[in-house]
Amino acid sequence: MKIALSWLKQYLDIDCGVEELSRLLTFAGIEVEGIEEIPALGKTAVVGHIVSAERVPKTDHLWLCMVDIGDVPYAEKDENNQVQVICGAPNCRAGMNAMLALPGTNLKDFQIKKAKIRGIESHGMLCSEKEVGISDNHSGIIQVCPFIDVGTQADELFSLPDTTFELEITPDRSDLLGYLGIARDLSAKLLLKSKEPVIPALSKPEGSLKIELTNLEPELCPRYTLRVIEGVKIFPSPHWLQTALLKSGLRPINSVVDITNYVMLETGHPLHAFDYDKLVAKEDGQSHPDIIVRRAEPKEEFLALDGKKYILDGDELLIADGKSASALAGVMGGLHTSITFDTVNIALESAVFEPGSVRKTSYKHKLSTDSSYRFERHLSGEYAASISDRAASLILEIAGGKLCGEILDSHPIKESALVLGVRPARFELLIGYKMDESRIRDILERLEFNYVGKGMFEHGNRHGLEIQPTQNEREMALYFQIPGFRKDVTREVDILEELSRLDGYDKVPEPEISEQIMDRHAYKINNAASDWMVAHGAFETLNYSFVDPSRMKDLGFEEEPEFIRLINPQSANQSVMRVSLIPQLLSNLAYNLNHSERDIRLFELGRIYLQEGDTHREPKRLAAVFTGKDGESHFAKKAETIDYFWVKGCFEGYLAQLRLDYSASEAKLPYLTQGESFVYHMDGVELGYFGRILPPVLEAWDIDAQMLKQEVWVLELNMDNIAKISRNRNRIYEEIPRYPSVQRDLSILVPLEVSYAKIKDSILNTDRALVQSVSPFDEYRSDQIPQGFRSLSLHIVLQDQEKTLTDERIDMLMVSVQKTLKEELNVSMR
Amino acid sequence: MQDQLESLILEAEQEIKKCSAPNDILNVKAKFLGKKSVLNGLYGRMRELSKEERPAFGELLNGARVKIESFLESRSEAIKQESWKKDSSGFDNSLPGVSLSRGGLHPLSIIRRQIDEVFMSMGFEIAEAGEIEDEFHNFDALNTPKDHPSRNLADTFYLEGGKLLRTQTSTVQIRVMENYKPPIRIISPGRCYRNDKPDPSHSPVFTQVEALVVDKGISMIDLKDTLQSFARIMFGSNVKSRIRPHFFPFTEPSAEMDISCVACGGQGCRVCKQSGWLEMGGAGMVDPAVFDTLGIDSEIYTGFAFGLGVERIAMLKYNIPDMRILFENDLRMLRQFRGEM
Ligand SMILES: [Zn+2]
Repeated sequence: MKIALSWLKQYLDIDCGVEELSRLLTFAGIEVEGIEEIPALGKTAVVGHIVSAERVPKTDHLWLCMVDIGDVPYAEKDENNQVQVICGAPNCRAGMNAMLALPGTNLKDFQIKKAKIRGIESHGMLCSEKEVGISDNHSGIIQVCPFIDVGTQADELFSLPDTTFELEITPDRSDLLGYLGIARDLSAKLLLKSKEPVIPALSKPEGSLKIELTNLEPELCPRYTLRVIEGVKIFPSPHWLQTALLKSGLRPINSVVDITNYVMLETGHPLHAFDYDKLVAKEDGQSHPDIIVRRAEPKEEFLALDGKKYILDGDELLIADGKSASALAGVMGGLHTSITFDTVNIALESAVFEPGSVRKTSYKHKLSTDSSYRFERHLSGEYAASISDRAASLILEIAGGKLCGEILDSHPIKESALVLGVRPARFELLIGYKMDESRIRDILERLEFNYVGKGMFEHGNRHGLEIQPTQNEREMALYFQIPGFRKDVTREVDILEELSRLDGYDKVPEPEISEQIMDRHAYKINNAASDWMVAHGAFETLNYSFVDPSRMKDLGFEEEPEFIRLINPQSANQSVMRVSLIPQLLSNLAYNLNHSERDIRLFELGRIYLQEGDTHREPKRLAAVFTGKDGESHFAKKAETIDYFWVKGCFEGYLAQLRLDYSASEAKLPYLTQGESFVYHMDGVELGYFGRILPPVLEAWDIDAQMLKQEVWVLELNMDNIAKISRNRNRIYEEIPRYPSVQRDLSILVPLEVSYAKIKDSILNTDRALVQSVSPFDEYRSDQIPQGFRSLSLHIVLQDQEKTLTDERIDMLMVSVQKTLKEELNVSMR
Repeated sequence: MQDQLESLILEAEQEIKKCSAPNDILNVKAKFLGKKSVLNGLYGRMRELSKEERPAFGELLNGARVKIESFLESRSEAIKQESWKKDSSGFDNSLPGVSLSRGGLHPLSIIRRQIDEVFMSMGFEIAEAGEIEDEFHNFDALNTPKDHPSRNLADTFYLEGGKLLRTQTSTVQIRVMENYKPPIRIISPGRCYRNDKPDPSHSPVFTQVEALVVDKGISMIDLKDTLQSFARIMFGSNVKSRIRPHFFPFTEPSAEMDISCVACGGQGCRVCKQSGWLEMGGAGMVDPAVFDTLGIDSEIYTGFAFGLGVERIAMLKYNIPDMRILFENDLRMLRQFRGEM
């Protein structure tokens, strides 16, 4: 629903800014979907009288107009107060009043300047509704009423500046489908008084026309009111009325139709007017026509206002005259009985229809109108007569005429009054803070919930039932009669929602936010590291935190580290806190070797305890030991022996999946072999190491390395450093390449002293944008290969992000790869 | 004529039956329906016939053609179907598959993760602190009297330099309350140390999980609720829990918590010593004196705490008879828990 601020202000004294109002609406539960500002046009946009309009020679659409602007000051007007304006609108003609924007006027999108069109000077522009800003219509210029004085400013005529709001009304709130409802909600939100329109007492019915009303479908039409007004004059509506409709998104038609639409927008309640003289009687010779509320006959035809003929299937509710359908009830009127400029007498309908029936008809015939939209949302019939009064008084005021007789009112199904109790104690329990009784009454009474009294709470409708007194604060309830337009309020909890919504959800006390105590990242990193080891076949061990101090010497350290020592150890070999996980893992290895295990993979994730001067640290480490095959023996598929490449893959794979950019260097630990043991760093921080245990070290754990004939590998991860360095490394999705990649293989002769890493770097560097990856798939040494060389075979994957690679491009690249390898590394092709 | 066609169809049918590969089908098709086929030749003889005879003759030929085509098609389909089946002659499908060799977590880690998950799903955070502690955090702040026997060398491991190895993870609670304002909902799992000789039910190194909740309006209902939820998730929905009076220096009131025996379901058995109940650990409402020491207003905040032994839970759940088994790291034990989550 679209509302204009200027119109809303008629019912509510708000003087807040647009943004504030938008915020208020949003937090009252009425979502603002769009805001459009209509700027003021200033003193240079005025009503002018088109004195003459002639075709500009050699054009078929341009008019050369002389426009009288009266007293409006403009330097270049002639002695007759006229200015010359070129206009391209099809409806431009001499004798009409129009809206002229003189040079200097700032329209919404541009500034009017004096211009030359086809060599003819034009002092301004005659404006369409779109140019003035009140609608999107650009099909012609605005026809200003001839009774409006020349020189009247656009701002006055169209209530500018103004702002329109596009509101989303939730389906349960039919009461918000009119300005009055919105104003009512805001008045409760702001605790302001809302102003209902004052309806002057209707004059005595003096007309003589009659009509007969028959309601055959009380279930589908719980209330139908009808009144006749004779002798109306149908003209275009006054500008204030047209403007009001335009700003709310409706097209003006004529005075009576516009008034029914105006009252619909005001109250949320659709009305319909029939041309009385087109309605016919049931019986020939009858002096007055009929209005009959009935269901359609199967295959009955109906010619609607939109000019289309609808074939009805017999379920639709109709408003018919004595012979045929005059309206699809609540959806659309008929063409034949519609109000035209020739209409003299009208029959005004104000009714409610059963929502389901309206929805079905609207859906079936794909006809959705402002009227059906509202009736589908369940309107109350209680107000039909007073709304008819409102429309009638406006009609009498604007279109003239006389009322004929009293209003006809078929009201077969009356709505029963609803009285509900609401407990302040319950509000506190559900919403979380106290609201005192006066506040509750204040908010609800502004919503037109009438206070009935207070006492013992009872569920359900208490209308007509006595309220029992109570002293118990938790049981005490305030009772209100719920207004008929609030079909959504049926229980205490619905009232509680109203109170909380309008008092503001910001009144709900903010909870005490508990601080983040847990290091979730470190927690997950540790668990994932264990899982990585498990996935690599290792079993987790848990060892005591105190150890034998002599074990560090067994590892090959010449001096004992600074241990944290127990004063009262249970034994000498449990007398210091451990500084490494490796000794116990080797003990676990020895234990299991002694129990006939051969293929052993073990790890422990635990703390070590380091004395550092006066203080100590307890960093977490993960250490693992591997020996033997990496799987159970299988008759057809051999398990791999755990070797340098296996352990390197396990270690580097772990770091790589964390996306860490590590660098490796030789690990200089006394228990590891040289050339196979590496320590990894990133940003100067140690991440861990892997390597092979020296056989003499194994001997110290009573493992006979000669007998074992297996390499024993270890790795260690510095979990605290890894957690720290991998923190906040958010992954960002990379676009998947749109062009195919190409793989080329290369077999090369490599001097023994040149490493694969160098070759890989050299190839990648040839063209970083194109070469995606290099991977070895064969290494080969034999007598066939020249002394001092080995053979390597590589997969090279090439890809261009911008286009599909051509063979020429690939060949060129491969040539330069070969050239670089030869020149830089003395590597030649095989 | 008709006879000739029928024998042709019969001949085609037999040859098609013999087809065993897609290529055979193509060959037979060429032979019977191709340009040089007998059937195709017969079509050429149409011209020799009178106008009246032609339709009937054409119908005969077409009938034969359709028949042969349908034989070809069904045989071709059959060949396709057969090609999907593996030749199983001489294939011993009872030989074992190759299994990816996964390792496994230690049963204590498995139980720890289970406990973490239960409490995290209840909105708890996990807090850790050092195992090397001072007397203040391990005893004084927990309201332990200066002469309490637990402070003895026979009970607590002391370190050179005056520190000690914490005897319970309540120390973490103290450190959290020192550093964070309520509301607090934490569990603190970790290693603790007591100078007990290893035996079936003791270990100098053991694992504890303590829970602490501090907030406005926390009562013993919350303690019972948390314990009950924990017991049900860990041991099954039929398990009952209870608390009974006990003494701990840092809780008031204090309680011992029991769960109904997971071995006998509460009937009474060897595991529960015929009582039907198993002791799970200590619990209680945080003593106001503890709050006061830490500068938390005990008039505004209340809280509960309880501690669980991870080894005991693992032993109960997995029917492990001796605590020492958990620290032997024997692969024959560890392998039994591969895949346990
Ligand atoms: Zn039992």
